[in-house]
Amino acid sequence: MSASPLVELTIDGKKVSVPAGTTIFDAARMHDIEIPTLCHQQNEKPVGVCRVCVVDVGARVYSASCIRPVEPGMVVKTADDGVKRARHTLIELLMSDHPSPCARERQSSDCELEALAKQEQITAPRYAPRASRRGADNSSMSIAVDFDACILCDRCIRGCSDIRENFVLGRMGKGITAGIAFDSNEPMGESSCVSCGECMVSCPTGALTNKIVTQTAIARTPDSQPVALEELQELPFFEGVSGTFLSLNRNAVVRRHFKPGEVICREGEYGSTAFYILEGKAKVSIASPMAHVKTKGKVRNFLGKLSSKLTQRKNDEREEETSQHWIHIDAPMDLNYDNPVATLGAGDLFGEMTCMSLYPRSATVRAETACTALEMLRNVLDIMQRNKTFRARLDQSYRQRALDSHLRAVPVFAELTDEFIGGLRESVELLRFTPGQVICRQGEAADSFYLVRIGFVKVSQTHAGGEMVLAYLSRGEYFGETALLENTLRSATCTALDHVEVVRISAQDFASMTRRFPGVRQKLEQVGQERVQMNRETLVMINSTPLESFLKQGLMEAQSLLLLDLDSCTRCDACVKACADAHDGVTRLVREGLRFDHYLVATSCRQCLDPLCMVGCPVGSIRRRNSLEVIIEDWCIGCGLCAENCPYGNINMHPFNVFTDVPGMPGQKKAIVKQKATSCDLCSDFAEPSCVYACPHDAAHRVNPRNFFANLLKQGASTTPES
Amino acid sequence: MRIDRTHRAWLIASLIILGVATAIYVVYAASSPAGPSGGSAIGLTFGIAGSLCMIFAGLLAARKKVPVWRLGRAQTWMRGHLWLGLLSLPLILFHGGFKFGGPLTSVLMVLLIVVVVSGLFGAVLQHYMPPLMTTRIPMETIFEQVDRVRAQLLAEADEMVEAVCGPLNLQNVARAPRARSAVATATIATTDTLPLCNFYSRDMRPFLQQERAQDRALSNQIKAAGSFQGLRTLLPAELHDTVKNLEDICEEERQLRRQIRYHHWLHGWLLLHVPLSLALLLLGCAHAIMALRY
Repeated sequence: MSASPLVELTIDGKKVSVPAGTTIFDAARMHDIEIPTLCHQQNEKPVGVCRVCVVDVGARVYSASCIRPVEPGMVVKTADDGVKRARHTLIELLMSDHPSPCARERQSSDCELEALAKQEQITAPRYAPRASRRGADNSSMSIAVDFDACILCDRCIRGCSDIRENFVLGRMGKGITAGIAFDSNEPMGESSCVSCGECMVSCPTGALTNKIVTQTAIARTPDSQPVALEELQELPFFEGVSGTFLSLNRNAVVRRHFKPGEVICREGEYGSTAFYILEGKAKVSIASPMAHVKTKGKVRNFLGKLSSKLTQRKNDEREEETSQHWIHIDAPMDLNYDNPVATLGAGDLFGEMTCMSLYPRSATVRAETACTALEMLRNVLDIMQRNKTFRARLDQSYRQRALDSHLRAVPVFAELTDEFIGGLRESVELLRFTPGQVICRQGEAADSFYLVRIGFVKVSQTHAGGEMVLAYLSRGEYFGETALLENTLRSATCTALDHVEVVRISAQDFASMTRRFPGVRQKLEQVGQERVQMNRETLVMINSTPLESFLKQGLMEAQSLLLLDLDSCTRCDACVKACADAHDGVTRLVREGLRFDHYLVATSCRQCLDPLCMVGCPVGSIRRRNSLEVIIEDWCIGCGLCAENCPYGNINMHPFNVFTDVPGMPGQKKAIVKQKATSCDLCSDFAEPSCVYACPHDAAHRVNPRNFFANLLKQGASTTPES
Repeated sequence: MRIDRTHRAWLIASLIILGVATAIYVVYAASSPAGPSGGSAIGLTFGIAGSLCMIFAGLLAARKKVPVWRLGRAQTWMRGHLWLGLLSLPLILFHGGFKFGGPLTSVLMVLLIVVVVSGLFGAVLQHYMPPLMTTRIPMETIFEQVDRVRAQLLAEADEMVEAVCGPLNLQNVARAPRARSAVATATIATTDTLPLCNFYSRDMRPFLQQERAQDRALSNQIKAAGSFQGLRTLLPAELHDTVKNLEDICEEERQLRRQIRYHHWLHGWLLLHVPLSLALLLLGCAHAIMALRY
């Protein structure tokens, strides 16, 4: 292969020879003549859009040196007065529209545009900035986008497409509306961006910067080691990530070694990190799955047994559950209710919900063998999860290990055969959604059925009066079946409340499933009808409830209120004592609360239509029965999130004695005190709530607020002036 | 328990039983040459029926001890307690032929009358007091929490006044004689806030602190309103909000005191009714054993 012929030219009075095809910019650089530029960098194809690198080649107009090839005998002036003036004006124009100091200048003082402006001694541009701002995009976990700071140099676009070949970034709009866009102008966090960081590393200004997360550095412990950049780059799931970007985030990941039996994380604790097991095995479990809720059959003495007989408890089996049920945890598998223990191995990632949404740990993880794991903050986890290779591996692992139990954990799918699930394994899609992202929209054509894998989904309907929340769905719950079964449009909008992952089953697979398993179809139809009925009731309630105070007190949200008629109540506390008696001495009601007319709305679960308490439960122990009652299951880990979320203070935390394994001493157990959430369960063991049953003055009533207050509300409606 | 139309069935049943018993008694008394006697078959029947009514009424206390047991709704027991307990008095009077008899039976009759009358008094209280409490104590709290809430009110008032007047060394002020406390206040208060500091240390804080300060002006709603109105005229407008808050605290304090009083009325009669009922049942047993044996 022959070398290119040399071309002779003069740059700033200096005679130089460079191979033919070389750009003026490169020729000058090769001979230590510096030409300022913004849109060009050595590892990218030059495009000549910023024009800062203009030089005078004796032509009618100045040329962009980064794209103009040298010519024999060319005389180039890079810094004569005319060029300097033109460059000064260009920089001044760019600065007039630049939010100075931009994020990058504030973070690391290396905004290239602001550096050039300083060189040119531009402090206050003479030109007015654009009238309307272009805004920002904070949807990405690791990169902040400030469109106002973008100078449209296209370095990010070339980094994304030419260097990393991800083809996520592109140009959008024309003239004053021109800008960069992710996919089809999606928010960055919702786009197909893989968080490789190349765009951020390429950006000359503060338009794309490394996001400062709440904690940028992970807390160090004696057993943790920092991970060198080179080590990180060698890990397969950081393949393709920009070294600079990784370097910026390397304090957010540590390598930790655990001895056998050592606790990696404990259930109920608040954390902000996820773990990725590199070597060894770990046991994941939840302690005390059975405690405090059920007292039936627990008493041994004669009086206790007699008392148990006389209390006439109903059969406690819950009709909507199958005999085998699962506890959903923040790990790639679910735990069996009867034996809530599982093993994690190399390549397993756990703690995603804690890390991404700061929920409490859902289970205790203890090293079974000597174990090495990477502990990371959410910016690193986000980079990992967006990595195509890692994503594919994680999805594959989920399909093979967890999809089966996940599907079977949903009672309506209990009868699916192994063979059918095997078929689904290859066809289902795993989708991720960022907080606020719409999964499916009311009125759209239904093309899929969704099963929630991670996070919480808000189901809402839009009406003339605004948005009405129908339900919050957590792991193990599903949506989208009604429209598919009835072949209608979506009846509600489903939105990710936090970082949500769903399993998407296509309409075809869903149809094949309902055809093959009529029992599944029947159950789905039944659930669908119940949901439709509930929505209808809620809507009727909203439309027919005019009293302002009724609304203010949130009574409309309630399905069942414990009301005390203060005109009859002698404040004897028989209701409180009965409640305590029915629940191991711990009362679930407080005879205190809001007053409505001569009724006291006691502090006791209202079975809300919009049960905010259910949002965030890391193990899904607070849930709705099919009868819409909100119950707290026995496997509550005592994190207290539901109690914090309940706007009416109707959930309390109470200590209970439970027995747990002694680490390193198999078979031995020790008593520890655990907190557990308690809330009114309407004495579901009995035919009637004990508080109501035990009130000697006929003052305590469990009522549907709308029916109970119907007369009052009608009076209110008739007296409410028209607005 | 309110005595309302829901008691109609019990009332009618009780009246029928009473009517039948009265008719039997009248016939029996008229036909007995020696007059009615507790030892006769009919007298004994009245005695047993009256005792059973009393025992049932007495079992309410035991029923309340096991509220979760499904032995019938507590309100049914309460209605039974009221009407059968009331019915026991005429039945026992029929049993004794309206004579008190010997010392034991006399004591029993007196006890029964006191128990029934105290029960009626309690029923009247339970009918009228709860609505009164509802209307007159809108800031009612759980009775056991009253002391705690009052302490909170005191702390809140202290904080409010200190925010305006500066640290008042209130512990000392509370213990100090009136004149001295005023001097202590005056040394730290500005001219504008001085009336507030003086009012608080002389009148309001002692009122909040002393449970039995009934004689104080602030324990009367009208007098208190006058005091606060007078205080407003002495203070600049920017302190009127503080005065309003202090007035609200005094109102809550008054309501809590009222709650204590009402609570004692509502439940105090039980101190007489319950022990005497127990004594009545025990002595009634003794009377039954003695009468049957001897």
